[in-house]
Amino acid sequence: MTSTLTAPRTGAQQSTPDRTNWHGAGVWTQIVVLTGRSLRAVLKDPRIVVFSLLQPLIMLTLFSQVFGKALMSSIQTGSYINYLMPAILVTTGIGASLQSGVGLITDMKNGVLGRFRSLPIRMGSVLLARSLADLFRTAVQLVILLGAAAVLFGFSPKGGFLGTFSAWLLALLVSWSLTWVFLAIASWVRKEEVMQSVGFLAMFPLMFASSAFVPLDALPDWLSIVARINPLTYAVDASRDLSLAMPVGTGVLSAVGTSAVLLVVGAFFAVKGFRRPL
Amino acid sequence: MARPPIEVENVTKDFGKFKALEDVSLRVPQGNVLGLLGHNGAGKTTLVNILSTLSPPTAGTARVAGYDVVRQSRQVCARIGLTGQFAAVDEQLSGLDNLVLIARLLGATKRAAKQRAEELLTLFELTEAAKRPARTYSGGMRRRLDLAASLVGHPDVIFLDEPTTGLDPTSRMGLWQIVENLVDDGTTVLLTTQYLDEADRLADSITVLSSGKVIASGTAEELKAEVGQRTATATLADAADSARALEALGRAGLSPVHDEQRNAITAPVNASHELAVVVRALDEAGIEVSGLGLGEPTLDDVYLNLAHHSAEPAA
Repeated sequence: MTSTLTAPRTGAQQSTPDRTNWHGAGVWTQIVVLTGRSLRAVLKDPRIVVFSLLQPLIMLTLFSQVFGKALMSSIQTGSYINYLMPAILVTTGIGASLQSGVGLITDMKNGVLGRFRSLPIRMGSVLLARSLADLFRTAVQLVILLGAAAVLFGFSPKGGFLGTFSAWLLALLVSWSLTWVFLAIASWVRKEEVMQSVGFLAMFPLMFASSAFVPLDALPDWLSIVARINPLTYAVDASRDLSLAMPVGTGVLSAVGTSAVLLVVGAFFAVKGFRRPL
Repeated sequence: MARPPIEVENVTKDFGKFKALEDVSLRVPQGNVLGLLGHNGAGKTTLVNILSTLSPPTAGTARVAGYDVVRQSRQVCARIGLTGQFAAVDEQLSGLDNLVLIARLLGATKRAAKQRAEELLTLFELTEAAKRPARTYSGGMRRRLDLAASLVGHPDVIFLDEPTTGLDPTSRMGLWQIVENLVDDGTTVLLTTQYLDEADRLADSITVLSSGKVIASGTAEELKAEVGQRTATATLADAADSARALEALGRAGLSPVHDEQRNAITAPVNASHELAVVVRALDEAGIEVSGLGLGEPTLDDVYLNLAHHSAEPAA
């Protein structure tokens, strides 16, 4: 650094007429301002969006091409892509929530979180803002995936726009609730490597031992038992029910209910963990 | 009479079995600078964390700007500025956006936030870098941005936790000047440092921490007086005179020492009038002197002295 620090008058006790009000913004402003900050970080670095799209696009391509033909006979939904896409919505959403957790840990290394702690704002606002920014990103990501599936692989579910839209909403809800679970884990473990392996351990068995990619009947007996108690199966089935205009029964309700519970519990522990000193 | 902006009473902080702070009490009157001296691990940052509400004390009470740091933490947060050892700025955001963000979170309108941000960028000479992401800033610029960020809300009390660690000498002096200006404006400052000259220059009073305990406090002068003696130093014009100079000062009742490196004779003196004794003795012996001075004990002496005492095992 060549520029020297000269002696500025800091003006600490002068100017800015409305300073008497500067004792902390309302919760709403906190959330809006902080969400804006997180979103801006995403927009400024489009690589994040591109790379987080790449993985689900590759999965979509591979699964639809590799399993498509083989599984045709055991699927009653017309084409495999119509069967696969509702699941891809859910798994991509969950992947995004894991990334939220990892992102929080990265953020904790960024000095600004330390500053937030010394400001008169709620730590819950900081977390909520992060989850909302990530939710927005996921929402866009899923729309792009849906577009790609329709254009490239001929995805055209029976549920039409409304069904697909509901499945999209459901995937976002599942993603948002799991975001809070991963934020909770992140704010307790606080180590990127640990977070990644926790995520890996949770994600892969859940994804494959479920109805996401193949019907339960196509799984070996023991695995289909695991899949039947796997909550992801219910989220995927609910998403399928909605987009494929199959009878919408208790599946959707229980997916929504489970998400709500996870959200509340996750948020509780996330805020509690996040408040601990860095 | 208003309460002092910083009041710490019998604060203790345990981390498990480890006592980071033990029964620490101090107060800082308005517009004063308290220098908190101590080596790494002495508990300086722990105390700053407690006062800035980042972690609660295990026992004891602390009030900042008149509010309890545990029960009224939000009120405290609204009135303090914190500059830690690591720049607490958003690396992704520009300098301007960083300051605007904080002003907005403090409750400023968009316009007022921008105005305050620009004001601070000008004051800290960051205007040219205002639109660049903070990650491209040099260490000194980051530190300035960080300090600017902690001043956004016109805090009554500022905590500076080793603010000049890792800064080049010019930046250090600049930062000192900023702190002095803050104090002129009535801000109360708690400054932690390992640099004794920093405390000497800035602090109205100094508290020395060692292993979580206050081992000394007072003004720099008082601490120095505690350690005691001043030193008279006479630099000789001719090195060959050293033996005669030692003899002459010895006759005058002093205990001189020859400092070969500086080619000087030094002797502890009790008061400034004894400097005259040194001058007279050298003059009578006909020794030419190229320099003469009276050295104050430095805070180094104070600190080493105290640290030495506190390191001795308790009997």
